[in-house]
Amino acid sequence: MKGYAKYFRKKIVWFIVTFIAAFLLNFFLPRLMPGDPVAAIVARMAQGQSNATGVQAIYKQYTELFGTNKPIHEQFFLYVKNVFHGDFGFSFSQYPRTVANVLKTSVWWTLGLQFPAIIVGFFIGNILGVLAAYLRGGYDKALMPVSIFVSGLPAFGMATILLVIFGVTFKLLPTSGGYGFDLIPTFSWTFIWSVIVHFQLPFWSIVLIAIGGWAIGMRSMSIYELNADYVKYSRFMGIKDTKIIQYVFRNAMLPQITGLALAIGTMVGGALVAEIIFSYPGLGTTLLSAIRGQDYPMISAATLIITIMVLVANFAIEILYGFIDPRIKAAQSD
Amino acid sequence: MKNTLQQVFHSGKFVVGFTIFTFILLMVIIFPLLVNTPPLGIISQGSTQGSFLPPGLYVNVYDSIATTPYTLNLDDAAAKRIASRLSPADRTAIKEWLVKAGIPENEIDTTDTDTLLDLWASNYDPGKEMSGMTFAKTRYYQRLDASLQGLLSTQGLTIAAAGTDTLQAAGSVAQSDYVNVTEVPNVRLLALGTDNFGRDVLPELVSATGTSLLIGLVAGVIATTIGLVLGLAAGYIGGVVDDIITFVNNLFIVIPSIVVLILISYSIGQEKRGPVTIAVVIGLFGWVWTAKAVRAQVISLRNRDHVNMSKLSGHPIAMIIFTDILPYIASYVIMAFILQISTAILSEASLSILGLGPKTSSTATLGLMMNWAMVYMAPSLGKWWAYMPVIVVIALVSFSLNLMNTGLDQVYNPALRE
Amino acid sequence: MSEVMLEVRDLTTKYITRYNEDIYAVDHVSLKVEEGKTLGIAGESGCGKSTLALSLMGYYFAPLHYTSGEIIINGRNITGMDPDVVRKSILGTEIAYIPQAAMNALNPTRKIIDFIEDVYQAHDEYKSKKEIYELACECCSILGLPETVLQKYPVELSGGMKQRTVIAVSVILFPKILIADEPSSALDVTSQKMVIKMLKDLMKDGFIKSMIFITHELPLLYNVTDDILVMYAGQIVEKATAKEAVFDPLHPYSKGLMGSIIVPEKGLREVKLTAIPGVPPNLKNPPPGCRFVPRCRYARAECAASVNLRNLEGGRSYRCILSERELRDAYRMEAEQNARK
Repeated sequence: MKGYAKYFRKKIVWFIVTFIAAFLLNFFLPRLMPGDPVAAIVARMAQGQSNATGVQAIYKQYTELFGTNKPIHEQFFLYVKNVFHGDFGFSFSQYPRTVANVLKTSVWWTLGLQFPAIIVGFFIGNILGVLAAYLRGGYDKALMPVSIFVSGLPAFGMATILLVIFGVTFKLLPTSGGYGFDLIPTFSWTFIWSVIVHFQLPFWSIVLIAIGGWAIGMRSMSIYELNADYVKYSRFMGIKDTKIIQYVFRNAMLPQITGLALAIGTMVGGALVAEIIFSYPGLGTTLLSAIRGQDYPMISAATLIITIMVLVANFAIEILYGFIDPRIKAAQSD
Repeated sequence: MKNTLQQVFHSGKFVVGFTIFTFILLMVIIFPLLVNTPPLGIISQGSTQGSFLPPGLYVNVYDSIATTPYTLNLDDAAAKRIASRLSPADRTAIKEWLVKAGIPENEIDTTDTDTLLDLWASNYDPGKEMSGMTFAKTRYYQRLDASLQGLLSTQGLTIAAAGTDTLQAAGSVAQSDYVNVTEVPNVRLLALGTDNFGRDVLPELVSATGTSLLIGLVAGVIATTIGLVLGLAAGYIGGVVDDIITFVNNLFIVIPSIVVLILISYSIGQEKRGPVTIAVVIGLFGWVWTAKAVRAQVISLRNRDHVNMSKLSGHPIAMIIFTDILPYIASYVIMAFILQISTAILSEASLSILGLGPKTSSTATLGLMMNWAMVYMAPSLGKWWAYMPVIVVIALVSFSLNLMNTGLDQVYNPALRE
Repeated sequence: MSEVMLEVRDLTTKYITRYNEDIYAVDHVSLKVEEGKTLGIAGESGCGKSTLALSLMGYYFAPLHYTSGEIIINGRNITGMDPDVVRKSILGTEIAYIPQAAMNALNPTRKIIDFIEDVYQAHDEYKSKKEIYELACECCSILGLPETVLQKYPVELSGGMKQRTVIAVSVILFPKILIADEPSSALDVTSQKMVIKMLKDLMKDGFIKSMIFITHELPLLYNVTDDILVMYAGQIVEKATAKEAVFDPLHPYSKGLMGSIIVPEKGLREVKLTAIPGVPPNLKNPPPGCRFVPRCRYARAECAASVNLRNLEGGRSYRCILSERELRDAYRMEAEQNARK
């Protein structure tokens, strides 16, 4: 374990730095434009609102909580403090619910959908890639154009296609929501089954796109590895091809894992839009309704949560990589 | 250079991608010249009746009545007329009723329209008690009967004009009257129907594609330029400059770009969001991967012999960069540029779907069309023409750019060739 | 009479390029290696020595294809054998190959001992991990490698160490024949010496029964080998004992080759350096006759027609239409001319 200390230290420091940067960005970007972002919104809302007192209450609470009448650096620290208390203020569009209250459920839906989808897509894509590199021939020629096409398709494109084929034309799977409209979340079998069924289309949209992207990269990496000297030598020592594929897979996966850490941000972005297509009750849909409802606190909080999720995932993968690649450990000990 | 071009155009993938992309580009440029419709003109009412008109050839009925008809006696005209009003489900229902009424099943042939209708006409009795039939079903048969009246008649229709108090016969239409569509003054081909606002989808789509491509191009140029400059600076100058640039670079790679785009777009506010603004915003934050790739290349080139030779010969830095380094990274830059265009178009689409795209009233982009389709529930309503063509175009644009890139990759990286 | 470990008769193998052209990198080669002997194969880059080595294993991968000829290892004719049988019973157990630049031959993400286990497993030898570890340790100690090497990853070893480890792994199943392809080219001089010593010890101690040593470093040949084959453009142009080949080469190419070395050996000090002008022919369309014609000082019109291997007594042979006498006379005259300059 000692050998890893330097590597871990570096990664933890990086994590903390990016964490802080995320907060800074999240706070300062919207305030780049002149004027208080909230005041403008509230003013707009107040014009059409019949419930003037309601609007006042929201605005007052927001000003108190985030100190919009104070100098900017004080505001920032207030902001950070509030976030760590889990307090994001009231939601403008769903008053009297608080932002935290709304996000609490959304986050789990998104995590539950995207986390397995990205991982499954990653693994299947890489396995298909290495097989294409090894088997060559017809399989390879069929896989390549399909992968290029699928990987170029945006996630919402695949989502819409699947929606139309399976949801509308063949009416096999539901097209919106996380579970049946008539159900209340309980631990009953009907509910769980409904969740699983509603899970399918969004899940497979994300997975299929991911497969396309990773398969191509893995294929290139595997071709490169298959021409490596150690493959030839292993063959000459009599090692079976099935074992050789394992070697190649292992070695080609390593840079892919690094790639995954870097690509998580983009993949999550695409997956969020896919969620919207299905009105899946995750962060994507929440963001959409927040934007439509000019719900600034919600937007700010949702983007922050998304960023933090990505950062944590990135950190976790980097740490995991340290354990998997023996060269990291070796580089530490000398 | 010529040799590379030759190789590039030999690569199957590149050529296919290039062809598709050029085709789309040409369509965008030439279509508005040929077809004079304003892309955002609303041609049908935006109500529930007037939105989402399905694709087809729309012939002005008023004008076609006034147009001189020709008589055509086509054998299957009557059958087609009947078929459009008597669906297979209806025929089966008729058969069921007749069977229940006591007619032996083997005498009923649902494909023989004449006999079927004869049997129906002679046997149907709205008042007859049928066991086990729901009230709804009874009403269904009554409606069916009403709609079948006169189905087999060969009489035409009379057109009446509204006079002072009474209707006056103003003309007649026989069942064998046909008009030549080209003689009807007002015919409109809505190849892709209309969208939720009532706009003709095809011109709108072409215009939207053009705007999206423009956004992609502008964003791509900005992103690639920034990436190139930063990558060169970081790679060639090294030291503190490199550390800073790499730090910022890695930061923006990890933080999801869509978050940054959302925050900025939102704060700019809808009023100020034109397509070019969006393009600039996307470009300003899309340079990360290009910078990374350029920097890596420059670092590997920095210590090559020819660069050292130039340094020893006392060439100024600018010249070294232009003549010794740029040619070698040109391939990466081109590939990165193509990738940036593709990413930018998709980023704009994502932003628009979220509602943060360019202002909706003045322009159309591919993302905006998707957004409207989603907001107005087009997929669930089955109005495929409002979003499928958009997705196809997005997919084709992405696909062609990706193909071009893969083709280029194979040219520059011989190990990947098949 | 010592046993013949490896006998190759008229072997021809080819590369099929992407454009479907055939390149006969090994053209009707015959050779014999006896027990206890080391055969050296010399020639410039691209003459086909490595391809010959690969072809001898009996295991072909595209783009290399077997065309004709026979390979008999230890009495077993492996030509046309089922690849799976070859893999299990020939590769590693009868004949083993140490590749060029063996530093990269080890899987970077696998510990040495794990790889050795894989090798045993691939040959259907069911030994326990403990047994394998003990065998590996024994092998290491015999070969002068520290045991700690086994638990390491290749990245943790130095270049010379990696080379010796690869040799150790190659002989772990006690193959009868070891093919060493440029085993010392990529190393520093001290490591080179250790590697050569290791190989010689392997022969001396009987771990391997015979060895084929491929190199373009001619000074090594005299030190290490018993017999030498000189290859040019896919063909064997001379076969002789080490002493004969180095001090009394017959074929003009061998003569040129030996003339281009600086070797502080007795008797060679006064020889002037010569270089052989020109490049080897393109093997896509090899000429029907002697392939050395464009670069040969003694070429005649008949050379381009056809030329076969001439066999002399004592097992020596060379591929030239000129007789022994003619060649020796020509060389002597040249030597005298050079001495006069």
